[in-house]
Amino acid sequence: MTTTEIRPHTPAQLVRLVAGREISTRIRDKGFLIGSGVLILLILGMLVFQVAVNSGGESTKLGVVGGSAAVTDALTAQGEALDTDVSVVDYDDEAAARRAVQDGDVDAALLSPSAAQPELLVEKSGGSAETIAQGAVQGMAVDQQLADAGVQLQSPPRVDVVALDPDADADLEAAVVALVGVVVLYSLLILFGQFVAQGVVEEKSSRVVELLLATMRPWQLLAGKILGLGLLGLAQMLVIAVVGVAGALAFDVVELPGRLIGTVLTVVAWFVLGYAFYASVFAAAASLVSRQEDLASVITPASVLLVVGFVISIQAAQEPTGTLSTVTSFIPGLSPLVMPVRQAAGGAEWWEVVLAVVLMLVAIAAIVRVGGRIYAGALLRTGGKVKLRDAMRAERA
Amino acid sequence: MLEFDGLYKAYGDNQVLEGVSFTVAPGQMFGFCGSNGAGKTTTMRIAMGLARADAGEVRWLGRPVDEAVRRRIGYMPEERGLYPKMKVGEQLTYFARLHGLDAAPAARAAETWAERLGLGERRGDRVEKLSLGNQQRVQLAAALVSEPDVLILDEPFSGLDPVGVDSLAEALLEQCRRGVPVVFSSHQLDLVERLCDAVGILARGKIVASGTVGELRSGAAGRQLRVVAPDAPPGWAAAVPGVRVVSEQRADVVLELGPGTDDQQVLAAALSTGRVTHFAWREPTLVELFRGAVTDTREVAA
Repeated sequence: MTTTEIRPHTPAQLVRLVAGREISTRIRDKGFLIGSGVLILLILGMLVFQVAVNSGGESTKLGVVGGSAAVTDALTAQGEALDTDVSVVDYDDEAAARRAVQDGDVDAALLSPSAAQPELLVEKSGGSAETIAQGAVQGMAVDQQLADAGVQLQSPPRVDVVALDPDADADLEAAVVALVGVVVLYSLLILFGQFVAQGVVEEKSSRVVELLLATMRPWQLLAGKILGLGLLGLAQMLVIAVVGVAGALAFDVVELPGRLIGTVLTVVAWFVLGYAFYASVFAAAASLVSRQEDLASVITPASVLLVVGFVISIQAAQEPTGTLSTVTSFIPGLSPLVMPVRQAAGGAEWWEVVLAVVLMLVAIAAIVRVGGRIYAGALLRTGGKVKLRDAMRAERA
Repeated sequence: MLEFDGLYKAYGDNQVLEGVSFTVAPGQMFGFCGSNGAGKTTTMRIAMGLARADAGEVRWLGRPVDEAVRRRIGYMPEERGLYPKMKVGEQLTYFARLHGLDAAPAARAAETWAERLGLGERRGDRVEKLSLGNQQRVQLAAALVSEPDVLILDEPFSGLDPVGVDSLAEALLEQCRRGVPVVFSSHQLDLVERLCDAVGILARGKIVASGTVGELRSGAAGRQLRVVAPDAPPGWAAAVPGVRVVSEQRADVVLELGPGTDDQQVLAAALSTGRVTHFAWREPTLVELFRGAVTDTREVAA
C-alpha cells in the first residue's frame, strides 16, 4: 500500500462516512425492520378498515313469489330510500321461497305482494327486510288506489340542494388524512429520536468515541449521525406515504386525491423539521449519560413534549380553529404535530404556516448550537451523569 | 521526529503534567513508564486531541499535531473502544476509511490486518462475540489498519497472554522497521526493557529520566560489582580501598566502588584469596532504575 491512496478528508466526507455507517448498521437492525413493518401494516390496516366502513351500505336479498317488474321496482326504490341495496329473487311457489329463507339464501320472502293479504316469510322478525317489504307493499297499494280513483300522478318536484360550505366534507377528510399522517410522524420521531439517543450512548459506553474523535470533530460525528438516521427516517416516511396514498387511491377511499397528496407532502415536510429538532435534543441529552440504563432519565422531558404535541394534534383534528391548537401550532417542537392538522383542516392562513416554520427554524438553529456544545463537552466525560452546566462550560477539557 | 514539548495540564487543582518533554525518532520504539496516575494517559490524550494542554504542544516533523496529522496516527486508547455490534471486518474497514483510505483499499487493508493478527476467521463476527484477547487484537488492528505514520498506544499489552504479547511485540517491531515512531505506555517494565530503544519515566508530572536503557544505566548512581570468591575469608572486600560492601552473603558479595577505584584492583584482591567463580558488573534492571527515578522525585517533592 502506498500513501498516495490516503487523502485527508474534508469535513463533508467525514460526515458522509459517519452517515453511511449509521444507515448500513440500522438498515440491518432487527428493531428497525420490525418497527418499519409494523408501521406499514398499520397504514394498510387503516386503509382496509376505511374500505370496510365505506362499503358498509347494507344489502338485502328478498325472495318474491308472484312478483312483477313493478314489485321489483318498488322494493328497490324502497331500499334506496333506506340506503340498502335490494336484490330480488323470484320463486315459483311458497315452498321454494320458504326453503330459501330457511337456508339463508334470502333474508326474507314476500308472498303474493299484489294480493289483498301479502305475507312476508322471515327467519325471525325485525330487520330491514321487513321495513322494505312493508314500505313497498304500502306504496304499491296507495298507487293502485289512486289509480283506481282516477288520479293522474305527476312526479313530485325535486329539491335542489345548496351547500353553504361545500369544502366541509373535504376539510374533514383532509384532517383525518393529516391525523393519520401525524400518527406516523409521531411514531417515526419517537423511533428515530431513540435511535439517535441510543447511538450516542453506545459510542460513549463502548468508548469507541475516543477513537472517533481522534479523527474528527464532535460536530462532524453528530451531524453524520443525525443526517444518516434522518435520511433513513425520511425514506421510511416516504415509503409509508407512497404506500398510504397508493392504497387510498387504489381502494378509492378518498374523494379528492389532489388534496390527499398535498396533505401528505405537508406532513413529510413537517417531519423533516420535527426530526431536526428532536434528533438534536435527543442527541445532546443522551451525551450526558454513559449507560443505556440512564438514557430514559435524560430523554424523558423531550419525549413528554412529543406526547403533548401528539395529544393536542388529535384535539386539533376535532377543533382546528380552537385556541389551544392555534397557539400550539406556533410553538417549536409542538408545531410539527399540530400545524399539519390545522393546515389540512383549512384552519391555518398561509402567513401562519410561514411564521410557524420560521419559529421552528430559529429553534432548530439554537438547539443545534447549544446541543452541539453540550454534546462536544459531555462526549469524553464518562462515568456518571454529566451536569448540563459542566458540559456547556467544558469543551474538551 | 515526534516531539512532546513542555506539556502542562491541570484538572481543577490537580496539576497532572508539569512540563512533559521528550522526543521519539522515526523507527524508534519509545516505552513510556510511570506510576499510576503519573499522567501517561493524559499526555497521550493531548497528542490525540482528546484533551487540551494548558501549555506546550506536540509536533510531528516540526509541525504541530492537528487533525490532518492525527489522521495519520494510529491510536489505541487505554479504555478500549469498538462498536460492540459491528462485525470485525466492517469495523476495520470503517476505521481505515476514517483515516483517509478509499473504500476499496480500506476493505483490502482490513482483510490484510485481520489476517495478520490472526483474526481472519472472525472477520464476519460481531466484536462483542469475541474473547477479550481477540477484541484487543481488533483494537490493535484498528490502530494499524491505515498504515499510520505514527503509533501511540496506551497500555497495549495489558490483558494479553504471553503468546499475544509476542505477536503484538512482533507487529510493533515491524512498524518500527518501517520507520514508524512507536510510543507505548506500559507497567510491564521487563517488556519495555526488552522492546524499547528509548524509555521515558514520568513521575509527578515530569519526565524524570529518559534515553536508551543503556544511557539510563550509566546515569544511574552507584553501579554495583558482584564478586563470588568461595575460598575468601569474610570481610576480605572491605579491606580493599575505595570499596563499600553493599551486601555479603558468605562468599557472594556485592560492592560499590568509589570514584577512581579500579575494578581490576578488586579482582586482584579477590584472586589473592583463591578461586573467583563470578566477577561482573551488575546491570540495574529497569525496575530498579524506575524505582530509583520515582523515589528521587518523591524525596525532592517532600
